[in-house]
Amino acid sequence: MAPRKLKAFILSSLLLVLSVGLVAFSAYLLSLDKRVRDLFAGARWQLPAQVYAAPAELYPGLNLEKDTLRHELARLGYRESAELQGPGTYAVTKAALQVQTRAFDFWDGPQPSLQLGIKWSEDGNVGEVYDLEAGAPRDIVRLDPMLIGSIYPKQGEDRVLVKLSEVPELMTKGLLAVEDQGFRHHFGVSPKGILRASIANMRAGRVVQGGSTLTQQLVKNFFFGSEQTWQRKINEAFMSVLLEVHYSKDEILEAYLNEVHLGQDGNRAVHGFGLGAQFYFNKPLGELQPHEVALLVGLVKGPSFYNPRRNPKRALERRNLVLDVFREEGLITEPEHAAAIKLPLGLAGGRSGVERYPAFVELVKRQLEQQYRQEDLVSEGLRIFTTLEPRAQESLERRISAAMPQLEKARKMKEDTLEAAGVVTSVDGGEVLALVGGRDTRYAGFNRALDSRRSIGSLAKPFVYLTALMHPDRFNVYSILPDEPITLEQAGAKPWSPMNYDRQLHGPQPLVNALAQSYNLPTVYLGLQFGPKATRDTLVAAGYSGNAAPVPSMFLGAVEISPLEVAQMYGTLAAGGYQASLSSIRQVQTLDRKPLSQAQIKLKQTLPEGPVYLLNWTMQSVLTQGTARSAYSVLPGDRAYAGKTGTTDDYRDSWFAGFGADRVAVIWVGRDDNKPTGLSGANGALPIWSQVMKDLNARGLDPVPPPDVEEQLVDPASGLKADEGCPGARSVPYIQGRAPEQYAPCAHAAESAPMQWLRDIFE
Amino acid sequence: MPLRVLLLSLTALVLSACATPPGKHERSYPQQPGSRPGTPTAPPRPGLPSEPVPGVPSPLPPAAPEMVPQEPIVVTPPPPSAPRSAEAVSGQAVTSLVRQARSQRAAGQPQQAQASLERALRIEPRNYFVWSAMAQAYLDQKNYDQAESVAQKSNSLARGNVYAELENWKTIRAARAARGDASGAQAAQDRVAALQAAVAGAAP
Repeated sequence: MAPRKLKAFILSSLLLVLSVGLVAFSAYLLSLDKRVRDLFAGARWQLPAQVYAAPAELYPGLNLEKDTLRHELARLGYRESAELQGPGTYAVTKAALQVQTRAFDFWDGPQPSLQLGIKWSEDGNVGEVYDLEAGAPRDIVRLDPMLIGSIYPKQGEDRVLVKLSEVPELMTKGLLAVEDQGFRHHFGVSPKGILRASIANMRAGRVVQGGSTLTQQLVKNFFFGSEQTWQRKINEAFMSVLLEVHYSKDEILEAYLNEVHLGQDGNRAVHGFGLGAQFYFNKPLGELQPHEVALLVGLVKGPSFYNPRRNPKRALERRNLVLDVFREEGLITEPEHAAAIKLPLGLAGGRSGVERYPAFVELVKRQLEQQYRQEDLVSEGLRIFTTLEPRAQESLERRISAAMPQLEKARKMKEDTLEAAGVVTSVDGGEVLALVGGRDTRYAGFNRALDSRRSIGSLAKPFVYLTALMHPDRFNVYSILPDEPITLEQAGAKPWSPMNYDRQLHGPQPLVNALAQSYNLPTVYLGLQFGPKATRDTLVAAGYSGNAAPVPSMFLGAVEISPLEVAQMYGTLAAGGYQASLSSIRQVQTLDRKPLSQAQIKLKQTLPEGPVYLLNWTMQSVLTQGTARSAYSVLPGDRAYAGKTGTTDDYRDSWFAGFGADRVAVIWVGRDDNKPTGLSGANGALPIWSQVMKDLNARGLDPVPPPDVEEQLVDPASGLKADEGCPGARSVPYIQGRAPEQYAPCAHAAESAPMQWLRDIFE
Repeated sequence: MPLRVLLLSLTALVLSACATPPGKHERSYPQQPGSRPGTPTAPPRPGLPSEPVPGVPSPLPPAAPEMVPQEPIVVTPPPPSAPRSAEAVSGQAVTSLVRQARSQRAAGQPQQAQASLERALRIEPRNYFVWSAMAQAYLDQKNYDQAESVAQKSNSLARGNVYAELENWKTIRAARAARGDASGAQAAQDRVAALQAAVAGAAP
């Protein structure tokens, strides 16, 4: 073959190979390009589920003062102005309030923006809701509900999405200075960057800069795991270039800020600086100080290697190195640097404190999993309408936060030793209106309302009494119970000899009094009449889901239950034996406004109405004459409430659970380490409960007995039938046909009573 | 007759002479087995696990006595003042929502009707006519267990209001029939008949 021919052959083969290669390469690039665009667009624009509080309803007769409505509007972000200026504004005059609502798509239909005039009547309630445009009164309208969170229900990660404009400049500039100095100029990969990083690293004697660009890091985060192979490296490089072709620098930077991996929270990955700021410092990104910004920027390099909670020393060194870079780049001044470098890491919070009401949103997440189908929850852009009532939540939070330092001071305890939890629910609907999982209500840490199972102490007693009252042939509210020492032999254990809290004996007690004063011995006596198993069955019927062994100590509350479940149990009592499963979710809607179907039984009768009515009557005495007397120093005396104090051994737990006609509230106060607090139910939890019930303007119990209950005048001293001859006689409920027939000694009729049986014989 | 009275009062006199004088009744409190002061400390009837315990949750609402009527059910006719519909007991807002629910139901939108009624119940949680309408909305959605439970709850809250009870028993009858519970439906039908008779008796 001639050299020229050979040359031509080589050239043409080369061309062939090249064009085949080019075609293959183009196909490869095209496939990568599609992947980049699909995944990036998908991941970037994926909509989280929006979580809404219950909307405020406005209607004539509503018990809502003008200032409260004003506060409500401010919380919704409405602007006050001299006159209405479009949706989301309001104007206040002396006697009235005008508001222009925002349009909102409710789960049962849309409501357009309305211009409303609201007037108050003399009793302080809303008197009129007037549609200013239509020139006609309205029966009822809603305000748009408050957005209380954005969640990804089916992902093992949370995110606080941030816009580039919301990110402090120090953060973005500092990040680029440390991670990718050439970001604004390179095309996705940066040979110069690699070179510079190598030099910097060699100078420092260790790795202080990475060679990959931010774009490469983002691609790696999106598409690949941590595994590094040559093939992946090459794919990564090409995809980075492609990303740069399709998206602007700002878009890429924003995606990076929201995507970067910053740590691990149990099985949740912490992605993005927004969540990172919450996770490490419990505050929004915009409020971070330079030393905090530096720590987050430093973490990018290796969130687990520099984990500030596990390796604080290493993290501090890394942070200070980043602060040095900040200074060298002129991002912070010399004095700023000097000050920042002296500061400790300053970690706060713990888990993702993303939402405004993290404890409540936690309950929503769990109930979503329980009540809805898995496949429904993966669809994006869900709207979750919850039962949270911001006013109730605010009251519960405020009362708990205020009480903690007061109690600590009064008991001469060290600061921040006490913890608390609380739940407020609606009686008949079983809606969770407010939930607090700890004294730091913005911190999504250990949720005591859901997860802290503590001995309920005397909160168990009503269920012992109810078990007895379900046998009207044997017990009524004025049955006399002995208050005497009891010793029970137990197989394989020391004999059990319970005592009263005051270690005194009080003589025979009417049942109502024994519960009101929370005497232990009459309770144990009563419990033993039917056995611990019967008491446990009653607990279960009320809503207890646990499986505690049925032993006599259960009568006195040796059973561990969470505050939320206590609210369920007392709610069943409050609703006359009808158990409404507690729920935090009203409705879940897909993006196209279709409701998701829910698999939950909402209501069933689990306890008999008559005996529950007798028990609730008895529990009113706890507040009027018993251990919770002090409640009426806060609550209005003309309203009847029922409840029970709970105190456990050595004052480890302080409980109060109680209700009116429309609200149930449960408060727990104690210590996480389960050490004694010196607080009884009456002086720890009760004051908080009373204040919350007062804030809620909770309605008093209706004194209307159910059909199978009759009322009779009774002499409290003897528990026998009374008439006008008995000075302190009171009307007492009994199961139909079970009221005492024998007259009390004080009764006028008592004189002739002995003849009754004779008369019966003769007539 | 006068002789009997004389005899009676004589006997009474004699008897009352041996009775404990008033004021010393402490030891004779009625009807509590084992509750007398001075009884041994050990529990008189420990345990009793075989004791039937009402109120234990069962798949169905507890068998109401209505389910096995031994005698014909007689319901007293309601007084003319008895409220006959939601409008008679509800405030303006709830009335509006109940009407809205009615038209939603009529338009074949029971789910929307349920949402309206839930709003109404948040305002007036013990309004038995609203609960009654809610039971019907559940029935429309073929949620028979809830329909019956909610109707029973309305009955409880109605405290004897015949008009609400009549609607509720109709709902219960339909729910039981749909579940295939023929005898239960028949028992509900007997209730419905008795309530209808009472309502007819009250008609002006």
